[in-house]
Amino acid sequence: MSTDEFERFWRKIREIEKKMLESFREEEEQILRELEEIRKALTPSWSYEGYLRPLYTMRDLGDEYILYIDLPNADQGSIDVKFKGNAILIRAKLKMQHRFSEWSGQGGETVFTEYRDVITLPFDIDPNYVSLRQRKGMIELRIKKPKQV
Amino acid sequence: MFREVDFGEFKLTEYECFRMKEPAYALLAMPDTGLVGVIGASHLIKVLNLKEVGGMDSYVYLPPIAVISKKEIRLPIRIFASDNLLVVYSEFMPPPQAFPALSRVLLDYFERKGISHVLMASGLAVQNRFELSQLKTYYITTKLEVEEILKGAGAQPFENGFLVGPYALMLKEALRAEMPVTLVMTESFLEFPDPEASAKNLEALSKVIGVTVDVKELIERAEAIRMRARDAMKAAMPNLTRMRKEYEYSMPLNI
Repeated sequence: MSTDEFERFWRKIREIEKKMLESFREEEEQILRELEEIRKALTPSWSYEGYLRPLYTMRDLGDEYILYIDLPNADQGSIDVKFKGNAILIRAKLKMQHRFSEWSGQGGETVFTEYRDVITLPFDIDPNYVSLRQRKGMIELRIKKPKQV
Repeated sequence: MFREVDFGEFKLTEYECFRMKEPAYALLAMPDTGLVGVIGASHLIKVLNLKEVGGMDSYVYLPPIAVISKKEIRLPIRIFASDNLLVVYSEFMPPPQAFPALSRVLLDYFERKGISHVLMASGLAVQNRFELSQLKTYYITTKLEVEEILKGAGAQPFENGFLVGPYALMLKEALRAEMPVTLVMTESFLEFPDPEASAKNLEALSKVIGVTVDVKELIERAEAIRMRARDAMKAAMPNLTRMRKEYEYSMPLNI
C-alpha cells in the first residue's frame, strides 16, 4: 500500500470513528431525554409543602436550548430564575393562594402559594448566555450551549 | 342504568333512553395537542347545559379509572347529549393500540344513534406559538356545505401535511364508513393547555353545529383553565410522544 493510499485509508477510518461517536452521543442524549420524560411523568405535579411544579418543555436547537415554562396565575414580578451548574431553579409566587379542594378531593386542605421546580440540562449553564422573555403567564429561556472544544 | 351494550372490548352504558333529532352531530373530544378539543368541549357542555347520558369503558384498553363527578360514579369516557348534539368526552387518552377499536366502536354507535356528521376539534402544534397573538384555524372536511360555513368563519383548508393521533384514525375510519366528518384545528401549543386556541376553535366549530357559543369566559379564565388542566396535559404527553406526534411538524415529500 502506498503512503497516499494509507493516508486515505486512515482518513476513512477517522471519518467512520467520528460518525460513530456522533451517533453514540445522539443516542445517549435521546436515552437521557426519555429517562427525563419518565421521571417527569412519575413526579407529582404538586407537593403538600404548598408548591406546584410548572409544566415545561425543552427544545434542542443545536447551538442553544429553548425552554418554555408555563406559569399561569403567577405574579409576573415574583418570577425568580437562578442557575447553578447545570440546574435551573424556578420559583414564582401565585397571584392568589390556591386550594385543590375547590376542584377535587385531592390535595386535602393544602394551600398552594407558589410554583417551584428544578430543571436540569445536559451541560453547565453560563447565565451570561441566557435570555428570558415573559408573555401571558409563560416564560421563554434561551440558553446557549457551551462551545465544544 | 338504562342499557349496557358490549362493543367488542368496550362496554357502552346509557343512563337513560334518549333519541337524537336530525340533523344530529357527534363531537369527539380526547386529549390531544394543547388539550384544545377537551377544553372546548368542556366549555360547550357547560354553556349548552348538556346532560350526561352515558359512558364507555374498557377493561382491556383503558386503565382502571372511575371518574367521580358531583358525587356520582362515572365512566372514563363520558357521553353528553342535547337534542341534536352528542359529545363523547374523555380527559384520559387511551393507549395508541386502542384507537382502531375505539374509532370503529364510536362510528358504529354514532350510526345507531342517527348521527349524520362527526365533528372533532384539536390543536395544530406550531413551534412559534409563544409569539403568536392571532391564531389561524384550519379544517379538513368531507362535506362541501361545511366547507362554506368554515370558510365564512375565517378558517382555511388544511391543504397538505401529516396528522397523528386519535383524530387521524377517526378521519380514516369515518371515510371508510362513509360517515361525513370534519376536523377543525387551531394553532396552539403542543405541550401546554391552550384555552385561547380552544376559544378560537370553538368559534368556528359552533357555526357548523349552528349554535351561538360565548367564548369570552374561556379567554378571561385562560390562566385558571391552564392551571386546572396541567395534570391532564402532563398525563397525555407520554402518549403523544409515543405515537410520534412530531411527524406533524414534517413536510410531505410527495403532494
